[in-house]
Amino acid sequence: MSSFDLDGRRIPIEPGDTLAAAAFRSGVRTFTRSIKSHRRRGLYCLTGDCANCLVTVDGVPGERACVTPAHDGMRIRRETGWPSVERDVLSVTDHLHWAMPVGFYYKVFARPRWLWPLAERVIRRATGTGRLPVRGAPAGRARARSARCDVLVIGGGVAGLAAAATAAAARSRVIVVDEGEPGHALPPGGARTIAASLEAEARAAGAEMLTHHTAIGIYEGASVPLVGPDGLVEVEAGRVIVATGALEAHGVFPGNDLPGVWLSRGAVRLATEHGIAPCARAIVLDDGTGDGAAEALRGVGVDVIEVRGTIVSANGGRRLTGVTVDTPEGRRSFACDGLVLSLGLSPRDTLVRMAADDPVTVAGDAATPGCSIEDAVEDGRRAGRGEPVVAREPDPWPGLGSGGFVCPCEDVGVDELEAAWREGWTNSEIVKRYTTATMGPCQGALCSRHLAAFAAAKGAPSAAGGRTTARPPVRAPRLADLVGGVHEVIDRRTALHGRHVAAGARMDRSGVWLRPGTYGDVAAEIRAVRERVGIMDVSTLGRFEVRGPDARALLDEVLTLDVGRVAPGRTRYLLALDEAGYVMDDGLLAALEDGGYLLTTTSGGADRMETWLRDRVDRRGYRAHVLPRTGELGAINVAGPHARELLGALSDDDLSRDAIPYPGHATITVAGVPCRAVSVGFVGELSFELHHPRSRSGDLWDALLEAGRAWDVLPHGLDALDVLRLEKGHIFLGQDTLPDDHPGKLGLGWAVAMDKPAFVGRASLERMVALPLERRLVGLRFDGSPQRGAPLAVDGRIVGRVTSCTVSAALEEGIGLGWIRAVDGAFPPVLASGDLRATVGPTPFYDPEGVRLRA
Amino acid sequence: MSLLVPCPTCGERSYTEFTFGGELRPPDAPDPEAEFERVYLRGNVAGVQTERWFHALGCRRWTTVRRDTVANRIEGGV
Repeated sequence: MSSFDLDGRRIPIEPGDTLAAAAFRSGVRTFTRSIKSHRRRGLYCLTGDCANCLVTVDGVPGERACVTPAHDGMRIRRETGWPSVERDVLSVTDHLHWAMPVGFYYKVFARPRWLWPLAERVIRRATGTGRLPVRGAPAGRARARSARCDVLVIGGGVAGLAAAATAAAARSRVIVVDEGEPGHALPPGGARTIAASLEAEARAAGAEMLTHHTAIGIYEGASVPLVGPDGLVEVEAGRVIVATGALEAHGVFPGNDLPGVWLSRGAVRLATEHGIAPCARAIVLDDGTGDGAAEALRGVGVDVIEVRGTIVSANGGRRLTGVTVDTPEGRRSFACDGLVLSLGLSPRDTLVRMAADDPVTVAGDAATPGCSIEDAVEDGRRAGRGEPVVAREPDPWPGLGSGGFVCPCEDVGVDELEAAWREGWTNSEIVKRYTTATMGPCQGALCSRHLAAFAAAKGAPSAAGGRTTARPPVRAPRLADLVGGVHEVIDRRTALHGRHVAAGARMDRSGVWLRPGTYGDVAAEIRAVRERVGIMDVSTLGRFEVRGPDARALLDEVLTLDVGRVAPGRTRYLLALDEAGYVMDDGLLAALEDGGYLLTTTSGGADRMETWLRDRVDRRGYRAHVLPRTGELGAINVAGPHARELLGALSDDDLSRDAIPYPGHATITVAGVPCRAVSVGFVGELSFELHHPRSRSGDLWDALLEAGRAWDVLPHGLDALDVLRLEKGHIFLGQDTLPDDHPGKLGLGWAVAMDKPAFVGRASLERMVALPLERRLVGLRFDGSPQRGAPLAVDGRIVGRVTSCTVSAALEEGIGLGWIRAVDGAFPPVLASGDLRATVGPTPFYDPEGVRLRA
Repeated sequence: MSLLVPCPTCGERSYTEFTFGGELRPPDAPDPEAEFERVYLRGNVAGVQTERWFHALGCRRWTTVRRDTVANRIEGGV
């Protein structure tokens, strides 16, 4: 016989058993302990609505035992209590009720503040909830897919299936989602027969059935995430029909949470579907609806006493031993081990209460609890046609008793609501937050209506006493399901990624790219470039070709330089401003021999530049093509006094200054790889950026390393680049700049052709340059080892900040860039940076005449 | 999640594929006063607004649509 393990005990399984049914048959009565008071909690609803049977199934916490099918070999752990659920020493807290008033956390731990972190650790251990496995391999992420439909029907009961059949017959794309199989929640008999024929009708008309899927929320649109066995399904629906039915009204009276108190459907389900007697002697509280609970229980041998009246209290300690009821004949007490409540129905409307502005129709029991099967069919047909559903008089509903737990999930009683109200929290939304009623695992399924009734009974105006807003998730999804819907952040890797990793590089995340920070020895990498030759993978640079009759007009509008002055074969530094005149990106513009242009941008700015260019093309109607080439072109920068010799060893082309001027470019072949060699100056040595087909990056890299042995070539990463460019006083956009830097503040006024009639940002720039400069980026020399981010001060007043710095080996001193504010209309020439003295000086620090670049 | 943007090349696609480009503004202004308004001031309409969307995860083209900012419904392309 198959069985599962419950806290070390073997529980036999019979066919059709849920975890709850099997455990109950084996005598388990306490399924969990309540979250604060550690009171015993037993089976109550058996419809998956309450939180009384949450257990950990094979390491997954928070599973509902009453709707989880039992399988051989499962390991079930009850989640609460110490040392165990059955013997829980923490149940002493139930007797300390007086010491834990409502708003306990706010009141007790407010001061001293240091106490809270300690208290929190104790409380976290003491509260009754499942534990997430924090050790071991992460569960990974669930798969996610999208689905579209015209009509999404949530709930495969009578109303939902009628809606689906009608909508599908009208040629709408329909999806029906149900937590189990369609019709599974209906009582056996006529309703199931009707549901079965409606299901057949819906399927024949083309409705898609998503069984064993749960809608966990309704988002704007309507967009509805479903959690199913295969992961997450994100449904975009034209409209949503909520036909989630009703659950039995939660009874609120002293002792209402004792194991042995049942909602009648739960007791009946245990009896009829599993053949288990929920108790020996039951008091069935009959509200006159005659739903056959007494008969069903007698069928499994329960001694049933039917009673009319109002419950005063349920009595007992570990479990129910008796009930006191006000009957028409007066107050009476009964001895019993079961109390079966049939107090009316509550709509299962949590989804509806989070979708106020979305196209949602509610049908059947979810609209009118207790409606007839005929009414449910009619509701469904109307909703399926897109018509409003007729409002009907709902079933009577019990309201609140004098005591007991309103919110069993969070251990909130009537007395706590009263106390909160007395303290001035006179609004249902505020009472909810203060007491945490409705905020437990069942998400207010049981108690949301009671909370509103409480506020209304207190005389709160309707706005302050209404139902509280519900929020997703309605059911607790696994974290793996939630992250399944998150779009993955994809790291971009250059073609040389594998080689960098193999060479032991530390790979850094730089925007969306993974780039080598260093291969181990930054100082050696710097020395290689300054003294011999170094190579760097710069395939991350944004590259665009701009072509077409209006290419020049487009670029003249977007860039600050005068494009017409860049002759074919030449290269110029480019700046692009936003409309407010602030620097957006920088890079190089190369005029190609055939009239086109090649634009390089910063690695992080490529996307924005493309968006920017395309916007202009679209708005102005320019006849120009913007061709992104970032992905298809690799680029390797070869820099150092021996750079030309290294290329010469691998190329038969003319590499002289006449052939590749500075600044300029030419097409050459290096190691058999066709390259556009761009003569650049970022690191301050003779250097060539080799743009080439990405598929050949490996060949070129290997050839350069091999041939470069003659000069002890070294590859370098971003760390070395940061120092090399800083010695030249070149800025890193973003690191050395602020969002409101215009070119003048950065000392880049020379890059702006103010004699050009129009370019983006020009008008704003004109306004700004007419004002006195209040802040600027300057070069700094330090008499020690500077710190990036350190403040710069004059007479103790902070007027700036170091944005980049290093101790330069080539210059044998501390250098940096930083921004400073004007003091009394002038920029201070000397500042204090901590204990250091920072002197403002000209850049470049290294090779100020640029002799080495032009070599 | 759910807003569908009509793209002239790709049809109706989820807004998550797009980059929002803000309200449509003229590319130029006739005088400095109008230029100031064009660059720095926004209508911030509560109602139907004409705005720009860039189909970043699709055809990488811009499109202009009219959207009701209160109901968050797209009324159509322009």
